[in-house]
Amino acid sequence: MSSFYLTNLVLVQATITGLLLALSIQVPIRMGVFSFAGAGAYGFGCYAGAILVLDYQMAAVPTIVITGLLAGLVVLVVGLLIAKLNGLYLAMATVAFCLIISVVAINGGELTGGSTGRYGVISDFTMGHMFAIGAIALVLVALSERGKLGRRVDAVREDPELAASMGINVRRYRLVAFAVSGVLGGVAGAMNILVRSAVSPLDIGFPLIVLALTMIIVGGSLSWKGAVIGALIFTWLPDLLAVVGEWQELIYGIIVAIAAVLLPRGLYGVYVDTKRSVLRRRRQEATDKATAQTPPPTSTGDTTDIDRLAPEMEAQR
Amino acid sequence: MSTPNTAETLPTTGPAGGAPASPGGVAVLECDDVCVHFGGVKAVDGISLQLLPDTIHGIIGPNGSGKSTLIGAITRLTKLTSGRLLFDGEEYQSSPASVVARKRVARTFQTVRLLPDLTVLENIQLGADGRTHDEGPRPNLLKRLLGKQISPAVGEAIERTNLQGFESFYPSELSYGTQRRVEIARAISTGPRLLLLDEPTAGMNQTERAEISALLQSLRTGGLSQLLVEHDVQMMIDTCDHVFAMNFGKLIAEGRPKDVVQSPQVQEAYLGRKWRDHA
Amino acid sequence: MQDVLSVVSLGSIYLLFALGMSLTWGTIDVLNFSHGSIFMFSTFTAYLLLGSTALPFLAVVAVAVAVGALMSVLIQVLAFEQIIKRARTKKNAEMQILIGGIGIAIIPLAIAQHHTKSNPFGLRESSFSVDTWVVGDLRITNIAVMTIIVALVLWLALALWLRRSRNGLALRAIGVDAEVASLMGVDRRRLALVTMAVAGGLAGLAGVLFTFTLGAITPESGDTLLVKAFAIIILGGVGSMRGVAFGAYFLAACEVWVLTQTSGSWVEAVSFGLIFIVLLIRPAGVFGRKEVRRT
Repeated sequence: MSSFYLTNLVLVQATITGLLLALSIQVPIRMGVFSFAGAGAYGFGCYAGAILVLDYQMAAVPTIVITGLLAGLVVLVVGLLIAKLNGLYLAMATVAFCLIISVVAINGGELTGGSTGRYGVISDFTMGHMFAIGAIALVLVALSERGKLGRRVDAVREDPELAASMGINVRRYRLVAFAVSGVLGGVAGAMNILVRSAVSPLDIGFPLIVLALTMIIVGGSLSWKGAVIGALIFTWLPDLLAVVGEWQELIYGIIVAIAAVLLPRGLYGVYVDTKRSVLRRRRQEATDKATAQTPPPTSTGDTTDIDRLAPEMEAQR
Repeated sequence: MSTPNTAETLPTTGPAGGAPASPGGVAVLECDDVCVHFGGVKAVDGISLQLLPDTIHGIIGPNGSGKSTLIGAITRLTKLTSGRLLFDGEEYQSSPASVVARKRVARTFQTVRLLPDLTVLENIQLGADGRTHDEGPRPNLLKRLLGKQISPAVGEAIERTNLQGFESFYPSELSYGTQRRVEIARAISTGPRLLLLDEPTAGMNQTERAEISALLQSLRTGGLSQLLVEHDVQMMIDTCDHVFAMNFGKLIAEGRPKDVVQSPQVQEAYLGRKWRDHA
Repeated sequence: MQDVLSVVSLGSIYLLFALGMSLTWGTIDVLNFSHGSIFMFSTFTAYLLLGSTALPFLAVVAVAVAVGALMSVLIQVLAFEQIIKRARTKKNAEMQILIGGIGIAIIPLAIAQHHTKSNPFGLRESSFSVDTWVVGDLRITNIAVMTIIVALVLWLALALWLRRSRNGLALRAIGVDAEVASLMGVDRRRLALVTMAVAGGLAGLAGVLFTFTLGAITPESGDTLLVKAFAIIILGGVGSMRGVAFGAYFLAACEVWVLTQTSGSWVEAVSFGLIFIVLLIRPAGVFGRKEVRRT
């Protein structure tokens, strides 16, 4: 076990940062906000982490905390700017935000190290820190899917108008989604730089958005469990697929394409749907038995407009 | 809110029928010259009306006469072009919809709008989640964190709408009429002071309609004001205490249901001038 | 003056690329994010063919256009039609098409990257050679002249087709109200396929002309162009033919201007910044039609 752990340490680390990155995209999606700003926050976090450690000699934990808060703030400001947009437009505005971060990284002079980036980021960061932070993030996100908050988040995503008529301040939820996504992305980026010790503009940008999105799409977008599944698959699959040979990229692409087209709710969604249809079949059998003795509890609405008009006409005569 | 709340919760029981509108009561809601225009279309054009406590109000009118738009305006989901809205005498026409809902204004929609991934119980609990006026001890933290807490108002709403046995069903498994009852239960579980129902019995059969009618009448105590949009004139006569008739965004008549239905303006609105001349 | 020439030739490339995306987005509501990889892969196919035989220019173009159209139609049938069939709401379908496009784009990219080891590839083996003409102080290549002419002619032809022809009218009707169009007897499926084929063909054409202009492209070239095309379309206004031409040349002008003012590494930021500014100030774009309110 421990030798397995040690030989695969890099993959374990990548799984945790990948998971937080995936969550940073998933949290807004769960609130109906199609924002990829989390990927931008990740890029921001990589650089902010490097700068804090290298230029300000900061320790690991404060670096991560400050980076997370800064990233949350930056993305919240972006959210305030584009809160009015919807659907595709909002998605693309956040893509633009992510790409602007990469351009700034290239042009940041000594602060960002230009096209070579920053390297030699060594601090007192341990795997203990990493597991603890990952666990805290996961638990907090998981709690947001339960109870009152979970229901309200569902309402904000599925039907904002209905949510508002239930007393939910939809705008506030959406802004919180931006801030949380920024914090998660920033923390993921900071942890990434602390374990990788180097970052260059090539590490952030469009492929990062694609990676985060694929994790969510294949795993499932509506539960943290989906993000875990996605992060596990896309961190470990390339390694396992090395057996298959040099075509791993292609296989990876085919999996994503199939999931995007056929399983819009991801693998976790398939599990949920299967569970539900089994439940439904069982209930069907139960009611079939029951109807033998008693009439069903409800009858279907089958009145047509003409049926409804008839008493109306009568009343007028 | 500066005015004291007369109603705390819904009554557990209520006699059906009988109770007339209290004419001297203070209006729960008042619309003052409300207009909603979409470009050149005057969907609601200068409506002024009052909704009283312990009263079931109805709006009738042909399709496109602005009934649903008026409900949208009252809940602030639809933008007002001009006019004033008052709840308990306080103006609120510039408050957002969520603030209006927290004043305990509940509504149902013309089309069923249930959340597909929540069970019937959870959909109804969504309504009770918004309650801020309940007193008593807060449920324990662990239970709330794990989301196992179900409000007493939910059980009551389920009972009133005859949804026992459906708690763990998902909306897609239910008949249309049952889905509508879940919507009504969700609105009731918010503990409303004003309940706006947009065609609650559309797609229901006569038995179910009678049930809904009885349900609304049983809610007519404890200060609740109700506003019902319906096409079924017979149901309006059976259910409502006071009816407004709309056409082309304007009020054309109001009063006791029978009188309104028989008034010449209303007959003309529904059936056209020609028909009336022949008759 | 040389700068103006650069703007016109760069803008023409952008126009060719964005034209197909604009067409599908404005009419059948498909924002195809695999457009970039169609662009790249059709050129890549031509490059592979040139490895075995030296083809003349027109043959190279024909191959790329055919491959582009075929890929585009395949994606429509295998992916987008399936998504539309299953999606609960139109909004869901739109987002899923965006995500599906991003996912599908990985496949051609992976194949090309694998084959070229992510190195740039060009079309040098073609019997066509790029010449530079000098007119006064101006230097212009034959491929640039061709690109400009082709872009403008195709743009005009497409605009006229949309405006005048029966199919064009039907397509515009779908863009405004798909349901009513259906009731009027418009065969949406066939028209959607035709539209996707045209868009894919344009992507292939743009790929070949772009590659001849630059000498070589990398498998990843499509990604950047994709975001630029998005900027162009929303700048002009979704569904507007005038808008897409305006957007293409405006973006080119901004980029050339930034290039002459700075070291050049800020150029990429222009399109991203434009997206932000347009969405904030005028989300409907310069020539955008106002959203029709339906109750």
